[in-house]
Amino acid sequence: MSDKVSVSLTINGAEHALTVAPERTLLDVLREDVRATGTRRGCDEGSCGACTVLVDGVPVLSCLSLAVTLPGRAITTIEGVRNGAELHPVQRALVLHGAVQCGFCMPGIVLSAKALLERNPSPTVEDVRQALGGNVCRCSGYTRVVEAIASLGGRP
Amino acid sequence: MRYAEPETVEAALSALSTHEDARCLAGGASLVAMMNAGRIGPGMLVSLHRIPELSTITETGDGLWLGAMCTHRTVAADARLRGAMAAVREAAAWLAHPAIRNMATLGGSVGLADPHTEIPVALVAASARVEVAGPGSRRVVPVESLFVDSYRTSLQRGELVTRVFLPRGEDGAVGHHLRFSRVAADYPTVSISLVLAMDGDRCRQVRVVVGSCGPVPLHVDAADQRLVGTRLEAEDVAEAGGLLARAAAPIDDVRGSAEYRRMLIPRLLGRALSQARERAHV
Amino acid sequence: MSSHAKPGPIPEPVGEVLGQSVPKPDAREKVTGRAVYTDDLRVPGMLHGALLGSPHPHARILSYDTSRARALPGVRAVLTAEDLPPNDIGAVIKDQPLLARGKVRYAGEPVAAVAAVDLPTARRALELIDIRYEVLPAVFDAEEALRPDAPGIHAPRGTAHPNAASYIRLVEGEPDPAWAQCDVIIEDVYETPAQQHIYLEPCSTLAEVDPDSGKITLHTSTQTAFRVQAITAEALGVPMSRVRVLVPRVGGAFGGKVESTNQPITAALALAAGAPVRLTFSRTDDIRMMRSRHAARIHMRTGATRDGRILARQVRIHFDTGAYADDGPFVANIGSYFARGPYRIPHVDVECWCVYTNKLRAGAFRGFGNPQIHFASEVQVDRVAEAIGMDPIELRLRNALETGEKWLGGAPVESGTLRACLERAREVSDWHRRRERPPAAPGKRRGIGVAAVSHVSGLLGSSATVRLNEDGTVTVNTGAVDTGQGSDVALAQVAAGALGLSLEQLNFSRPDTDTSPYDWCSGGTRTTFTVGRVITQACEQVREQLFEHASAILQRPVRQLELRPGGFVGVRGEPGASVSFGAIAGRALYVEGGPIIASARYLFPAWQLDTRRTQVEGLPFMGNGFFVFAAQVAEVEVDELTGHVEVLEAWSVHDVGRAINPAATEGQVQGGFVQGLGYALTEELVWKDGHLVNPTMGGYKVPGVLDVPAAIHAVLLEHPFGPGPFGAKGIGEVGLVGVAPAICNAIRHATGANVRRIPATGERVLRALMAREEGGAKASDA
Repeated sequence: MSDKVSVSLTINGAEHALTVAPERTLLDVLREDVRATGTRRGCDEGSCGACTVLVDGVPVLSCLSLAVTLPGRAITTIEGVRNGAELHPVQRALVLHGAVQCGFCMPGIVLSAKALLERNPSPTVEDVRQALGGNVCRCSGYTRVVEAIASLGGRP
Repeated sequence: MRYAEPETVEAALSALSTHEDARCLAGGASLVAMMNAGRIGPGMLVSLHRIPELSTITETGDGLWLGAMCTHRTVAADARLRGAMAAVREAAAWLAHPAIRNMATLGGSVGLADPHTEIPVALVAASARVEVAGPGSRRVVPVESLFVDSYRTSLQRGELVTRVFLPRGEDGAVGHHLRFSRVAADYPTVSISLVLAMDGDRCRQVRVVVGSCGPVPLHVDAADQRLVGTRLEAEDVAEAGGLLARAAAPIDDVRGSAEYRRMLIPRLLGRALSQARERAHV
Repeated sequence: MSSHAKPGPIPEPVGEVLGQSVPKPDAREKVTGRAVYTDDLRVPGMLHGALLGSPHPHARILSYDTSRARALPGVRAVLTAEDLPPNDIGAVIKDQPLLARGKVRYAGEPVAAVAAVDLPTARRALELIDIRYEVLPAVFDAEEALRPDAPGIHAPRGTAHPNAASYIRLVEGEPDPAWAQCDVIIEDVYETPAQQHIYLEPCSTLAEVDPDSGKITLHTSTQTAFRVQAITAEALGVPMSRVRVLVPRVGGAFGGKVESTNQPITAALALAAGAPVRLTFSRTDDIRMMRSRHAARIHMRTGATRDGRILARQVRIHFDTGAYADDGPFVANIGSYFARGPYRIPHVDVECWCVYTNKLRAGAFRGFGNPQIHFASEVQVDRVAEAIGMDPIELRLRNALETGEKWLGGAPVESGTLRACLERAREVSDWHRRRERPPAAPGKRRGIGVAAVSHVSGLLGSSATVRLNEDGTVTVNTGAVDTGQGSDVALAQVAAGALGLSLEQLNFSRPDTDTSPYDWCSGGTRTTFTVGRVITQACEQVREQLFEHASAILQRPVRQLELRPGGFVGVRGEPGASVSFGAIAGRALYVEGGPIIASARYLFPAWQLDTRRTQVEGLPFMGNGFFVFAAQVAEVEVDELTGHVEVLEAWSVHDVGRAINPAATEGQVQGGFVQGLGYALTEELVWKDGHLVNPTMGGYKVPGVLDVPAAIHAVLLEHPFGPGPFGAKGIGEVGLVGVAPAICNAIRHATGANVRRIPATGERVLRALMAREEGGAKASDA
């Protein structure tokens, strides 16, 4: 039997007191315990990027992060990106550029892009491509996704 | 599964000693993936993330000590990793993809000894030394002495990697890492890491290490020696590359056949050397 | 092939909505994470399902012992074939049990299923199931599997072709004597891989059973609610009236979620456990248990005259359908149907086998047999051009079928726009300048290549209901599933254009087999085309009803009335005279006539091959659909040292008939291009001794953003024609079909290396390059 560890996770600014086994990933805990299902499961090995969340503002893979290691860290999921009824500029750009198809990759892409824009408010197309290097999209061919995000930087 | 998150190296060592089947958890990028796939199921995880010592970077006259818990992102962003040390910085900057680089750590890469990945390759090229803490003592060993086989290190049970020393190398030396992969976000099919110092157009010193072509990073003294003193002309590169290719023990996998990897070694060596020379001149 | 339908004038849409790149209605919920996919659903008491895969590619099942698994606390159901009705399923040949029965036919084939209180418990239970096997000889190559002495996977060994799932032969003209008239003959063997869909959302089903009625409700990620309903009912031996299917958001499909995925077995688990069960595949289970594109080996010979007339072609295709036929015989149909290409080749001999092997089943995947044959055909046509010293686009133009000419088998090409596509591709890609091989980066060689593309749009049946709400807004019901391709917005725009409404005035419903009208499937490049057509038909009937009421209200004859944007019927030439849909609805509901509602249906008729023209063996009908055309161009740089190919820029020119939502259409084209780029360069399931060696996304690599060109130019031509809504033609699969040959033709242009096997990995291209440098053109093959 596994240890059960009591942890308090800060998810989108709110404290969540949870009891978790050490092997449970942040992805499992988000989807099953916290019921924040916007974080998607695509591969369980860090190859698809669908489960990307921010930890202290940095994109990480929630499928490879153990929940027990994260107390005291600021976890941002897709549910924490939107501000009331307002879409984040990245979200708005993706919608308006017609970049969204099946949408399964979108939460991860939004978070990767948000982190990029926070450290580099005017990214080039190449900056955007580099930042999305771990976010697989199987529908769009990436063209409109990159265009949408790069449009926020206003640079070629 | 048991779990501990010690706050000092000593407490970590003591936690590791409490369980037969304890493993250190660093960034998790590889370990958790293997757990998810059911390939491993350690009896105990000792997470190192609360040990401040392991995340520090210290500059000395000879080089830089990088804590084992430094992420690849941190390593890639540290402008002090110049000259010979740049081999490690470049390897860290381009491996896998951004989220992996944000998670995976230097110490994790050393401890895992994954033959597909490239940080160990760059560390060997950069002549890195590794501080290993064990019950009651710490020792510093050349990094290559740790890599004994695919996913196997010479670390004893109950030991852990605390930090890595990158020597500055000799004046004018440049480090360079060249990765070749099927797609950007993949393990390399072949990687070449090297540290090169030129005297005018002659090679004064070189250390070439090949990755993904055997159970451990491949370094062949004779290949380095074949290049030293030459102008790194095609024939010199081909012969040094041939020595490396013959010494390599690659496998067939989805990233390429063993034979392809052997073909690539001299080809990519030439490219890596000429890119490093360009860098040496700027 | 809709020559049965009289080509009438193409109607013009009312209002501005049709043709605009309006945002998709589901885009906001997708970028905010609120979109609900099947695995996001949870109901009280829900159990978690998991499947046990076979450890052997071919083995007899001697015995099961599930007692240890059943005894594990938390386990609520354990199933093997012994617990299921003996009903096999299959789109063409009913050869698939839900769980292997009697023997296993591929490594990874589901042999047992478990439902437990949580997923870790379910997975532990799988490890406790003991199955004894007797390993049987296995066969992994389609041509070897056709030999009489091959192990029989379904039929007994020793029959003439123990593993043939289907055979087709089509002969036109007199191929044998025609070869003598050819100045050049090119012959090669082409090989294409088992590509996997890698839809980002693994297959998932939540099954609930009503304890009183026994009615099964499935929430599932699928392309087809109605086929899932039919297959689940058939497999479990229950009437369709006791199966309901609903489709939450679908995270991509690409053909991988046609027919059934894990719905029937999840329903069986829920029945056995007496509780709801959700079964979501891990990525590895999805890869090894679901389906792939058919790997193919194609022997092709093409002959032409020096002045560029293609005279003769001989083709022999082997499609490897794996352990179960699934859509294989249909895929083989399409493959053979496109073996002549979109060219007027008078003498043709096509032979096509669809063959069982002991590997994962192959089935539908974007392009459906067509990418395979296009690869062979378009690479070979390029070699013909090279041999006669003609520009590749020029050769294609000289042989391109035009409107009114006949396809292989005799069906007419009704809107022959290949020429227009090729000419536009030549122009937008600056073809002639780039053919001069602009300088490449050091150590690289640059080249540009083209492929002519043809496909079919349409097929099978759809229906729609359109009804007027009391306030004059309109509800459109269809059974169409939006798998992300954007059919919900496109179909709403079709309705908006047919009735002159804004999207806010339209309610477009989601598929639910209890309430939606039938639709076969979101596949076959058909949804906008076929479902759009029935929506326009139903809207037309609604318009007639509206006009009858308006005629009475406005006191004018129907012939003077017109639809006006915003939901009004007006009198032609009298801007002030109009009545709103709301007023009409009030009259219809409360005064006279009854509710305004209409339904429409359509079955795309099967084309019977013209047997006076074509000698046919095998299936007598094929490829029902409307021909659509495109031209794809890729510019590449080949690394001389490694053979690695980078696509620098791409142009994909499509006749879409009419672009209903240009942004969504371009997104389909660009996404198709990148999926084709993966097929061309990196994607391949690899087996060793019958076991998949790369059933992970780390081993099986799809292109990431850094592996694709930043500029993929989607160019939409609009030649409205045919039975689709407002002359729109299908696009969904087309963008993938010609990518691999365009890239491989560019590789040959850059280097002279003749790549005959995809994916054109660095290794294969390097070997071709080295062979060419050492031994000249003859040895330059890969």
